Amino acid sequence: MTDTTKILPGRAGGLHISADVLQLAYRLLAALLICVLLSLLTDSFLSLNNILNVLRQASLMFFVAAGLTLVVLTAGLDLSIGANVGLTACLAGTVIHVTGSPTLGVLVGIGVGAVIGLANGIMVTALRIPSFIATYGMLWILQGVAYWYMAGETIHGFPPAFRQLGSGYFLGLPIPVYLLVIFLAIGTVLAQRTTWGQEIYAIGANPVAARLSGIPVAARLLLVYTVSGTMAGLASIIFLARLNSAEADIGESLTLPAIASVLIGGTSLFGGVGTVFGTFIGALILTLVLNGMNLLQISASWQPLVTGAIVILAVWLDRMTRRRAF
Amino acid sequence: MPEIALTAPMARIRRIPGVAMMLIALVAGFAATSPGFLTVPNLSNVLVQSTVLLLLALPMTLIIMTEGLDLSMGAVLTLTSLVVALVTLATGSVLLGLLAACAVGTLFGIMNGWLVAILGIPPFVATLGTLGMAQGLSLIVSDGQSVVGMPVAIQKIYSGMLAAVPLPILMAIAAYAAFHLLLYYTRLGTFVFALGGNRDALRFAGVKVERMLIVVYAIGGAMAGLAGVLMTARMNAGHPTAGLGLEFDAIAAVAVGGTSFERGNGWLLGTLLGVLTVGVLRNGLNLLAIPSSVQVSCVGVLVIMALFFDGLRSRT
Amino acid sequence: MNAIMPLPAAAEAAPLFELRGISKSFPGVKALDDVSFAIWPGEVHMLLGENGAGKSSLMKVLCGAYTADGGEFFLDGRKVEMSSAADARKLGISVIFQEFSLVPYLDIAQNIYLGREPKGWMPGTIDRSKILRDARALLATIGFDIDPSTPVHTLGVAQQQMVEIAKALSQDARILVMDEPTAALSDRETELLFAMIAQLKAKGVAIVYISHRMAEVFSLGDRITVLRDGKKVAEAMPGQSSPDELIRLMVGRNVDTSYPRNFASEPGPVVLEVSNVSAANGIRDIDLVVRAGEIVGLCGLVGSGRTEVARAIFGADATTAGEIRIDGQLRSGGPDRASRMGIALIPESRKAEGLALIRSVGDNLVVAALQKLFPRGLFVPQRARQESGGLVKQLRVATPSTKQPVGLLSGGNQQKVVIGKWLAAGARVFIFDEPTRGIDVGAKAEIFALIDGLVARGAAVLMISSEQAEIVHVCDRAYVMRDGGIVGELSREQLSEENIVRMGMHYA
Repeated sequence: MTDTTKILPGRAGGLHISADVLQLAYRLLAALLICVLLSLLTDSFLSLNNILNVLRQASLMFFVAAGLTLVVLTAGLDLSIGANVGLTACLAGTVIHVTGSPTLGVLVGIGVGAVIGLANGIMVTALRIPSFIATYGMLWILQGVAYWYMAGETIHGFPPAFRQLGSGYFLGLPIPVYLLVIFLAIGTVLAQRTTWGQEIYAIGANPVAARLSGIPVAARLLLVYTVSGTMAGLASIIFLARLNSAEADIGESLTLPAIASVLIGGTSLFGGVGTVFGTFIGALILTLVLNGMNLLQISASWQPLVTGAIVILAVWLDRMTRRRAF
Repeated sequence: MPEIALTAPMARIRRIPGVAMMLIALVAGFAATSPGFLTVPNLSNVLVQSTVLLLLALPMTLIIMTEGLDLSMGAVLTLTSLVVALVTLATGSVLLGLLAACAVGTLFGIMNGWLVAILGIPPFVATLGTLGMAQGLSLIVSDGQSVVGMPVAIQKIYSGMLAAVPLPILMAIAAYAAFHLLLYYTRLGTFVFALGGNRDALRFAGVKVERMLIVVYAIGGAMAGLAGVLMTARMNAGHPTAGLGLEFDAIAAVAVGGTSFERGNGWLLGTLLGVLTVGVLRNGLNLLAIPSSVQVSCVGVLVIMALFFDGLRSRT
Repeated sequence: MNAIMPLPAAAEAAPLFELRGISKSFPGVKALDDVSFAIWPGEVHMLLGENGAGKSSLMKVLCGAYTADGGEFFLDGRKVEMSSAADARKLGISVIFQEFSLVPYLDIAQNIYLGREPKGWMPGTIDRSKILRDARALLATIGFDIDPSTPVHTLGVAQQQMVEIAKALSQDARILVMDEPTAALSDRETELLFAMIAQLKAKGVAIVYISHRMAEVFSLGDRITVLRDGKKVAEAMPGQSSPDELIRLMVGRNVDTSYPRNFASEPGPVVLEVSNVSAANGIRDIDLVVRAGEIVGLCGLVGSGRTEVARAIFGADATTAGEIRIDGQLRSGGPDRASRMGIALIPESRKAEGLALIRSVGDNLVVAALQKLFPRGLFVPQRARQESGGLVKQLRVATPSTKQPVGLLSGGNQQKVVIGKWLAAGARVFIFDEPTRGIDVGAKAEIFALIDGLVARGAAVLMISSEQAEIVHVCDRAYVMRDGGIVGELSREQLSEENIVRMGMHYA
């Protein structure tokens, strides 16, 4: 280990493919491989209906996970997003149901999501509680409130125009796919094209150095959790539109797949590495796997198990690649 | 750090106020607002119902002392409660069911320990993953249905008495005694303090740190198995979602009881008081007809408060 | 190697432990160069040397943390193997480091016997009464009167140190190595420590003692070894030497680095003014000024508080008293405010605190300048690339491209990136903390040329360095620190290595 600059093989003067792009390429390849595998193993995979379904499911999963990506980039975690989506959906759903105004519902959704995110942010920055335990506590608080608020009931029936948001089609593609593109755009712009995003990456890569480089770390973290919460709030609206109902337990099964999507997509738990687009690919891969299981008639009970195993695998891979660092 | 050495008893007294005060306050509060609270049948009910939680909170204390966490305990409990039901149903032997449940629980514990100690995966992610796995397995083995029709003997585990003391309470006393012995009188117990307080010192002393960590998580799994048996005995059935979320109450009990999440500082008696606090809280809220969902939120608030104060304490 | 004083004729017994010709190298630096050293039973052997002279390397070799590249070890006259911590323990060598290896929530007895607990009635259990009895007896032998069931986290620093010593003794240590044991002790606690050392001596335990306090060296030491640049330059008896003599030996070397420094111009107006600053990190009543165009040195021994002053000025640590002004304006708040006011901190550990190793050179270069380059918050990669590309050229950073992860660069080039980061941010006050640590000779000259360029353009530089030669050749003047306060200022004419070391050590 001499004191010289190490040159990576094959880089001198050649095409400079950034590490990020390479990682995304690998994952797209993996998704493609799964598609090929599934089309060989089943008859129904390649049907238009199924593919559109996969896209729609992946989109829904991605909406929840998009904001989470930003939090994980700072080496934090938000275990409460599932419960956030659940509670927000119930509250927004009530508003839409009562007032008949989707706009009002959207506003409520954004508002509630933002408040939850802000509360998480305060716990992490001002109260200095580690993010995983703070958001874990928040998860239970939100879940409890949701159950109490709904009192076992379900909200049914939203205005048809609103439901288009989740179940409708436009030019042959499910509307959530268009929303996906919008979410992707917003998320990517925030992360890659704002100074705030650059600071987020810096904080995740080395929080001490970030602070000593003049970045107001606490303020940035507060914003990250708030943004994550807000995006979860937006996601809940789309869920409402898709499911055409709201129940207290909508959010329970969302947290693990959301985390899985982020991790599979290449965002490192240890911070500073990852992209929002990667999370989309992660959501896609997870959806493909679960879809495949469905088509192969594997009982749905296996799904949490497979998701859990995938999470562990993804973290382990992350750890291995991180270890060869400097 | 103080310049003068405090003697050990003084240091402990300083800690009692926190959780004991909370417990006393809750008892007083509920006694005032619910006439049925401060009665012998109700209080003994609280005690008996808290035993399952105690069985989880005791090993959780040790795990948290090693700066770890086990989010899978509730799911593992659920799985083992199904295992004991199914095995008992199949073989007619409660004993076999019990052994099978503990074996499955221990296996999950070893897996958790392996992921954390050998693969170096952060505990909350590792156990989140195994939570999913245990949850999935619960659904699979039970096919989504409750398991009923076991020999009556299994119910006796929960409802039986020995010398007018309910069996679960005896189990709780035995468990507490066992863990007290483990933590304060065995090498493993000493190592648990070191795993959280100064892991390098332990390694430097020649102890195999990874092995010790795996043992700690394995104990957690085994206890989850035992708790699963107790739960099945209580419900006289195995239910695929019975214990989900109980790990949260366990973590709450440990946090409220004063064990901190860093530095290897643990207090078993505090956990016991924490378990009682959570039990009293839930019982009291029940009597006030407050739905279970809100109870969960209250526990959540309790945990955050406890963590906040713990954080304050560690910075003074 | 010159012994300046002849050793007393024929010590009767053979030395307890002897090192012959020990060498240890790291890439780019020879930490120990053919060091020979012997210690007798019951002897307190003082080890003197400046920062970087090799004391800590020697200590690490002694306890087995480092394996020597060459040389031999002898215990009781017999050759022995020394290549691991286990070896050192077997030989009876124990090192008391400044950061203790104690478990806070276990009691004294458990800490002493960690991993070697006496067995109880069942496999796996501990015999509590035996462990307490043994501990009590052990503590008595060193005169430490305390209940062994006391939890360690309730003890003060001095007492924790005693527990460490007891722990070493419990492993039948025959040689104790202590690194500045009195650094954090009060006078009374120091007395207790010395009393304990006397008892250890009486038992035949040998002590290797590293100290920067002349009074201790002369009152406690039986023999003194001076290290310089990894070599042993002298061995002396306290009765036959003097503090001045020892300092002369510690210092004074051939200058082999060229320091490009132009002292022609007169310094400009005061840019940085620190008045009466104290902070929770241990510094007290700091007064200093730095003018535009000046390089002011901040010297002192390790632990004297230099980094703490740097951090306080930058806002990384909060101050409890005093004022810091830049161009007359009061500096308040944290590092974000300081950075906007034009203050820059180039930290001592650049990998841990100055850079995000997994991010690219370009990312690291613009990270402090984001607000300046993109005031409206929209990040334009081309603009950032332009800026970082320009800096790479200007600073001559050896990297194939700005996309290269900065962790792959050499130490010198990494340091350039840290400096470049602040150039991009438009800083005018630069605080360097050990700017050339871990950088090879060639790159060092480049770094100094860079710093020279900075002040030529009107920047104000405060430089912390443990290499006195650097300070003497590069700085316009220097402040010397000791125990958290500034004990003096040396003007250009007064700047000499001996003066710096003399001021930095305890004389009385």
